[in-house]
Amino acid sequence: MTFGRRLRSRIWRGSVEDEVDAELGFHVEMRARELEARGMSSADAHEAAVRRFGNIERVNATCRSIGKQRDRGMRRTEFLTELTQDLTFAARQLVHHPGFTIVALLTLSLGIGATAAIFSAVQAVVLRPLPVPEPSRILAVYTAFPQGRGSVSAGNFVDGIEPVSSFAATTAIRYSSFNLADTAQAERIIGAQVTAGFFDVFGVVPAHGRVFTAGEDRPGGPKVVVLSHRLWNRRFGANPSVLETQVRLGGQPYEVIGVMPATFDFTAQTEELWVPMAFTPERKAMHDEHQYQVYARLASGATSERALAELHRNAESIRVRYPKEAAELDFAVAKVMDELVGDYRRRLFTLLGAVGLVMLIACGNIANLLLARATARSGELAIRVALGAGRGRIIRQLLTESLLLATLAGAAGIALASWGVQALTAAAPPGVPRLEQASINPLVLTFTAVIVIASAIVFGLAPAVRASRTDVQGVLKEGGRGMGAGVAKDRLRTAVIVGELALALVLLIGAGLLIRSAMALERVSPGFDASHVLAARLSLPPTDYKAPERVLQTFEQVAAAASAVPGVRSASLTSQVPMGPGGNGNGLIPEGKPFDIKNSIQSRLRIVTPGYFDTMGISVVRGRALNAEDRRGALKVMVVSESLARALFADSDPIGRRVACCEPGPDGKSPDYKTVVGVAADTRWRGPAEPPSPEFYLPAAQIPANAWDWIQRTLYVTVRTTGDPATVINPLRSALAPIVPGVPLFDIRTMEQRIGASLQTARFNTLLLTILGGLGVVLAIVGIYGVIAYFVTRRTREIGVRIALGATRRDVIALVVRQAVWPVGLGVAAGLIASVMATRLLRNQLFGIGPNDPMTFAGVAVAVTLVALTASFVPALRAAGSDPTDALRTQ
Amino acid sequence: MASRSDASGMLHGTLDALILKTLTWGVRHGYGIARWLEEATGDAVPIEEGSLYPALYRLERRGLIEAEWGLSELGRKAKFYRITAKGRRQLAADTEEWTRFSAAVSKVLIPSGA
Repeated sequence: MTFGRRLRSRIWRGSVEDEVDAELGFHVEMRARELEARGMSSADAHEAAVRRFGNIERVNATCRSIGKQRDRGMRRTEFLTELTQDLTFAARQLVHHPGFTIVALLTLSLGIGATAAIFSAVQAVVLRPLPVPEPSRILAVYTAFPQGRGSVSAGNFVDGIEPVSSFAATTAIRYSSFNLADTAQAERIIGAQVTAGFFDVFGVVPAHGRVFTAGEDRPGGPKVVVLSHRLWNRRFGANPSVLETQVRLGGQPYEVIGVMPATFDFTAQTEELWVPMAFTPERKAMHDEHQYQVYARLASGATSERALAELHRNAESIRVRYPKEAAELDFAVAKVMDELVGDYRRRLFTLLGAVGLVMLIACGNIANLLLARATARSGELAIRVALGAGRGRIIRQLLTESLLLATLAGAAGIALASWGVQALTAAAPPGVPRLEQASINPLVLTFTAVIVIASAIVFGLAPAVRASRTDVQGVLKEGGRGMGAGVAKDRLRTAVIVGELALALVLLIGAGLLIRSAMALERVSPGFDASHVLAARLSLPPTDYKAPERVLQTFEQVAAAASAVPGVRSASLTSQVPMGPGGNGNGLIPEGKPFDIKNSIQSRLRIVTPGYFDTMGISVVRGRALNAEDRRGALKVMVVSESLARALFADSDPIGRRVACCEPGPDGKSPDYKTVVGVAADTRWRGPAEPPSPEFYLPAAQIPANAWDWIQRTLYVTVRTTGDPATVINPLRSALAPIVPGVPLFDIRTMEQRIGASLQTARFNTLLLTILGGLGVVLAIVGIYGVIAYFVTRRTREIGVRIALGATRRDVIALVVRQAVWPVGLGVAAGLIASVMATRLLRNQLFGIGPNDPMTFAGVAVAVTLVALTASFVPALRAAGSDPTDALRTQ
Repeated sequence: MASRSDASGMLHGTLDALILKTLTWGVRHGYGIARWLEEATGDAVPIEEGSLYPALYRLERRGLIEAEWGLSELGRKAKFYRITAKGRRQLAADTEEWTRFSAAVSKVLIPSGA
């Protein structure tokens, strides 16, 4: 575009319409004058001129439309030309200031990369919809107990949930582990027994073969199994010919009828196969054995409120029909997505917020660098303004520079993020649902692009606006040095520092709270002695071990054989070790209270063999432990935990008192009482953060026959060793093999590993937040250092004069450090106030301290203040050491 | 830009070329161009005055000429056109094509030796 055209477009500010009217009008008028000059009357001349012109309206309209196209094209060309100029100029600026460019790119790409990586985790776990049709219509249905929600009994499922007309499909699920033995290698696999509605509820069609029908889901029906994609891949090499072949599950042949798609991997237990539930009529009549997970899909047009109303009505009629087994029955529902994502939503969004704060601090530093540079560049900018560049034009040019910087950093950030996502999925604790699918996908890229643009504005706008206000005359008069007193006190840069420090403080206080919680957790006594204890599970297949007597006898042989392994000090068996979630619970009613479900105390059942308390290191605080004398036929006994003793008997002595539980008495109607012979210390059953819940221990030799079904003939073998527990794993396997041939030990871990696993999520979160907090503080400190160093550079002459006039080293240091005191003080104060609000987000992740723990707040505030002031000391010392003659000569 | 060589475009192209040629003598406003064409062609090429302006706007859009506002000889504000470098190149191409075209037509219409 030539200068003339550009000038014209600036001078002609009118519309195309005015332009055409004026031009055509001019022509007609000139022609009329000419005709008039030849002697026509004024009126005739005008008429003749118009006639000669032709169809003036049409010409006018054509010109207007062409003129508009012309202006549009011109604006576009102009914009592109200016953009190209700006980009070229920006690129040249970045190349010519490699120090600034490298620091800014490093800071920004780290920030963008971290933000993108965390966002991709949030997207994978929380934001991504479930890979099933209409996931929001899938509900989890629970029994509503006074203590909270729980599993559902078969009877209540059949009578109360299946008939609900608001549900299009329902399913009951029971997770269990199966011995899969199709080849020589036996393997324990988590699988699920499900009613046939399962596949309709989740609305997923199999990738290969078919799923089972309601007709097959009945007692005595065909033995069929549907495999997960993962199991099919791992165990059968993704070979489609496995369909219609037989595999052995728990010793019985099952026909493989289908394989689910790879995307169907989000269910709570990540089970790997599904077999028909096949409820027996007896099972369907059971209303008080709550052991099934229930899911339902809402019918089209139905709402969860209407479904819940129906459930309440059905619960009422069940209560009336079965007053004993279902006295307090009611149901509750929850969206399955909420259940699946659960606590991770808050945790991940907290992390995303934290990484966002780091990003903001990084932007603050870049803004300060740009502000410093803008001062240095004020000469250049003043010349541009003097040559006619408008404010808007200057802002646009500087923002283009910021955007170029951010875009380059964004590209590097994506590379960092793709590495970061891998690191994150590898380092994350197991069990975070769907995390392994986190990736740099189009949504993450879009998010990154938004971050890039937003950050360019955040760090670039204020410096650009400020630079555009440059006082042209002042700067030019100063001879373009741009470093003198012409720049007023730098409130903007100070404000940025205050903000950065406040954000860094919030991050560090959050991290500090989590660290203090972790320390408190480490100090919690788990109620048992975890050192030198190994626990592994053993599950007897019901086909080979049907009779309860045979099950008990086998497990007793296992305990004896385990005790005889060299290096084992003691060995015993339990249905549930501490720190392992799950396990069965029963309602206990103390003798003397009416035998009514209202008086029952829900308590966790532990079925143990003699010696368990010694092996696990659980102290028996009153009475005695269970021993070999507690057999069938002898007095029925139990040991209760301290919290159960308090719940049952308050402060009175529990020893010798009787408690009803678990089975009807000999006549089949009256309560069956067991005598409390001992009180054991409370143990933490889900991790140190969970308060102990009531527990009771029954001798394996005295449990009701159907209790073996409750626990699926599965016990933990626990051994206390003299040396490293890991060394006895293989001897233990060999010792047990002859007793239970073909039945593998599984879930083999030391108790210390189990405690560690229960803390893994908390530790991981603490680690991430600590890293982010550290990063934030480092960035903020660098920012403070930069501002103070800049202050020193700007005042070199003044400092030189002061030294020449006799100011001491101390005076100079005080002068410089004083510059840092205000922003640091303000930043810390603002950070403390912000933290009071922000740390509420962490409340659920804290243990032993409140979200406003004064120790953490004070400690972090003091530490940050000291570090920040120290950062300002470095330039202060340099200033104090400067030679006044040099200082005076620099200007 | 491809020059117009189809028959219907011939007249358009001719007018464009004539305008460009006019502007090689100097900066002129629309009325000035019209007057110059009248005199130069001696009314042999009948041009409806109005059709001049769409041609001018089109040439401006194509960047062959550029316009700026100035004062006319009578002190009135008028839009003046000037030929651009691109316009000169276009004119040269048009002139060459016209020469070739008229030579070919002449060869047919005016047999040599007649």
